[in-house]
Amino acid sequence: METAVLQVFRYDPEKDQAPYYKEYEVPVEGTLLNALLYIKDNLDPTLAFRAFCRSEVCGSCSMKVNGKTKLACKTPMKELVETWKGKPLRIEPLNHMKVIKDLVVDIDKPIEKMKTLIPWLVPDPRVVPTDPMHESIIYPEEMEAYKDQIHCMLCFSCYSACEAVADNERYRGPFAFSKAYRFQVDRRDIETAKEKRIRYAISGGLWSCVQCQKCLYVCPKGVKPAEDIQNLRGQAVKKGFTDKPGAKKLKHFVDWIYATGQINRLYLPEEVYGNKEAREKLTKAYTEMGVEVWEVPKPTKGLMKFRDIYLEILSKEDKALDLDYSHVRKIDKMVSDIFKADICTIVDKAHEEGRSSRGLISKLKGLLGGQ
Amino acid sequence: MLQFDILIVGAGGAGLYAALETSKRKGLSVAVLSKVYPTRSHTGAAQGGINAALGNVAPDSPEKHAYDTVKGSDFLADQDAVELMCEMAPKIIREMEHMGLPFSRLKDGRIAQRPFGGASFPRTCYAADKTGHVMLQTLYEQCLKNGVKFLNEWFLLSIVHNGERVSGVVAMDLRSGEIHGIRAKAVILATGGHARVYWNRTSNALGNTGDGTAAVLRAGLPLKDMEFVQFHPTGLRRTGILVTEGARGEGGYLINNKGERFMKKYAPEKMELAPRDMVSRAIETEIMEGRGFRDDEGNEFVYLDLRHLGRKKILERLPQIRELAIDFEGVDPIEEPIPVRPTAHYSMGGIDADKLGRTPIKGLYAAGECACISVHGANRLGGNSLLDIVVFGKLSGEDAINYVSEIGFAPFDESEVKREEERIDSLFSSDGKEKLVDLRSELSDVMSYGAGIFREEKKMKEALEKVREIKERAKHVKVYDGERTFNTNLQQTLEFLNLVEIAETIVLPALERKESRGAHYRTDYPKRDDENFLKHSVVERGEDGELRLSWKPVVITKYQPEERKY
Repeated sequence: METAVLQVFRYDPEKDQAPYYKEYEVPVEGTLLNALLYIKDNLDPTLAFRAFCRSEVCGSCSMKVNGKTKLACKTPMKELVETWKGKPLRIEPLNHMKVIKDLVVDIDKPIEKMKTLIPWLVPDPRVVPTDPMHESIIYPEEMEAYKDQIHCMLCFSCYSACEAVADNERYRGPFAFSKAYRFQVDRRDIETAKEKRIRYAISGGLWSCVQCQKCLYVCPKGVKPAEDIQNLRGQAVKKGFTDKPGAKKLKHFVDWIYATGQINRLYLPEEVYGNKEAREKLTKAYTEMGVEVWEVPKPTKGLMKFRDIYLEILSKEDKALDLDYSHVRKIDKMVSDIFKADICTIVDKAHEEGRSSRGLISKLKGLLGGQ
Repeated sequence: MLQFDILIVGAGGAGLYAALETSKRKGLSVAVLSKVYPTRSHTGAAQGGINAALGNVAPDSPEKHAYDTVKGSDFLADQDAVELMCEMAPKIIREMEHMGLPFSRLKDGRIAQRPFGGASFPRTCYAADKTGHVMLQTLYEQCLKNGVKFLNEWFLLSIVHNGERVSGVVAMDLRSGEIHGIRAKAVILATGGHARVYWNRTSNALGNTGDGTAAVLRAGLPLKDMEFVQFHPTGLRRTGILVTEGARGEGGYLINNKGERFMKKYAPEKMELAPRDMVSRAIETEIMEGRGFRDDEGNEFVYLDLRHLGRKKILERLPQIRELAIDFEGVDPIEEPIPVRPTAHYSMGGIDADKLGRTPIKGLYAAGECACISVHGANRLGGNSLLDIVVFGKLSGEDAINYVSEIGFAPFDESEVKREEERIDSLFSSDGKEKLVDLRSELSDVMSYGAGIFREEKKMKEALEKVREIKERAKHVKVYDGERTFNTNLQQTLEFLNLVEIAETIVLPALERKESRGAHYRTDYPKRDDENFLKHSVVERGEDGELRLSWKPVVITKYQPEERKY
């Protein structure tokens, strides 16, 4: 019979000074869970791990194999042996949670974190009847919005793989945001709860996610927390929760790209972090380095057409409302002030002249005090 | 000592529904004790759906639902309880819908319903093929919302009572290994089924070991209709993992090695949607008579063919089944038929309880699969177990609220804690002459042999003897992990000992029930015998440690027993 070697993380805080690895030879048959049960039944009854349904629905048996997060009952031994080409398989507990014993970790903390995001329905009486004689009417196509999220079984694979959890203790974890988002897009949930959820999500680190996408790859059930987090951020901006750097950055990007076709490095520190001196310092530094620098890019031929296309793209993603027109108007005014003409005239002129804008260093020097 | 007005043991559908009910009442102290985190509970593995006569797809009524249930039970169910359950079904479905449960919907936005075995109409509400999963998640969410207190990863050891009233339980905190007495005015047992008795071939989770049922037996209280164990027709060939009845509900065929839809011989009208006991017997008969398939490993099976349903329907309605078939059988049901064989699935029998979940001991309730109310009689219909757990979880919760508001705590005999400590200590110091794995496997084999799908006197007698022998030998099983922290070796041993105790309570009444009814099929008595056996079996353990069997009448309201044809 073909066998493989598992190097299993062992640690019993009651008697062990430090964790160690113990090797077991197991048959290459069935799943990783079968291999662990084989150890417990035949080689070493003291090994501790969690397992229950053994059919991919209860989420008990998530662990790491050579650093990769896996659900043991969903991982064929054959596949592991092929992937790692006969190398030993190191089996370890999930990250970011305290080890209780061997492969068993303390999952109370992520559950407590999830609870802060109102991961339950708060019914809207206008949609959900208050008597048990009637059902809410929900169309099948509406359910598409949360069809993946409802598969989450709290296995904490994503929590273990998450970069943001590693960095930020307060960060709620990918699954928690997916659980929250599931109700944000359920019409039965009341608007006030949705508003609160966004507020709590923001204080729970919504903008800390670095979009590394690991959660999406490790989820055994096809939930996509990274996407849900992006969508929650979109909702946060739409609801006017724009006082966090992440939201401000998004706003800066969306507005400046719409207004001028590109982001503005000079204004970014001020608009996102409120650093009022940065623009001046950067301009000075660029000038000294002999780098050409524009306070605002001169609008180019085709800008208005570009705006149409950009708006169409945003609309398709249902993000058109992310555009802040008052901010765009401010940018337009800035452009007009610097170029002494309104934005449309400048674009027309650029069109007539058939050439793009050029540097504005002298103008900037004037603006910044004639240096 | 920990103390609660109401202690709920088990955090599946029944336990969580009871908890929700009690959490609505202010000022009560309630806790849910569970050996696993609530969302791991086996309710989450239920796939196909939950029955209620909503009449969203075809005209239906609670009366028709009740009739189908009684007929499905082979007339052993208590009809007053069935009527109550079916009457409450539409309301409780809507109640859960209002909690956010994502039921699959019809085009017009109402809850969708699919056909299921033994039902006259499409009556089964569902969420694709993950109904139990979303139900468990939704109930857990609502419990978090209502601030329910959980004692997660605590293991029930014994029930404490004084012969009249319950005074609490003894339980072990798995994380610390400490044993605690917990005082409670009311205890609701919602500890699930015991089909793990058939360890080697079952759809059940590793922990469905009837812990509550065994504790009740040790406490000297009655178990009812234990001989009735349901074998689900379609377990995956190698693992026994469940393939939902919804697969046949959506139109799947069962095929033998002649390429025939063999169910036409056994249930010409209902075909694949006959009740589970009949379909399981049909599959086993095909295999026994040489019309099954056999693979290189020696597994015998028939095919469940879904290919004609088409890719779209399979992906939309049965996505999880497809995933499980691919992962565990290497078969994509869109391209190939799924190899299946019956698998031990559900315990119709259990703790003797009335229609409000009350046991003979005041303040002690049982709800869900661990209980025998009885609404499933000799055979449960698919889609009725998820219904049973929420209805009777709710009702026992309600009744417990009323009970505890009028009464104080009963005295708690602390020597019970000591007794459990001693019982556990003895497991550490046993001689280890017997191996748990071997005994567990022997138990499974002998139960399949003697108390499986087909039964007969000789085999059952052998089985009873063998089970008693295993029970003796089990005294020599040793716990090797000497530490207290999260000792899963100790836990698996306690669970096994529970299974051994339960096995005996299955075989004994099976031997005495000299007829065939529902899931209890005897080749030596192939006919139902209403004259002598239209009654519940009751098993209790006497002071001397011996099991005593007695009988109890069936409640019949308006459905007179008739021949069961499909």
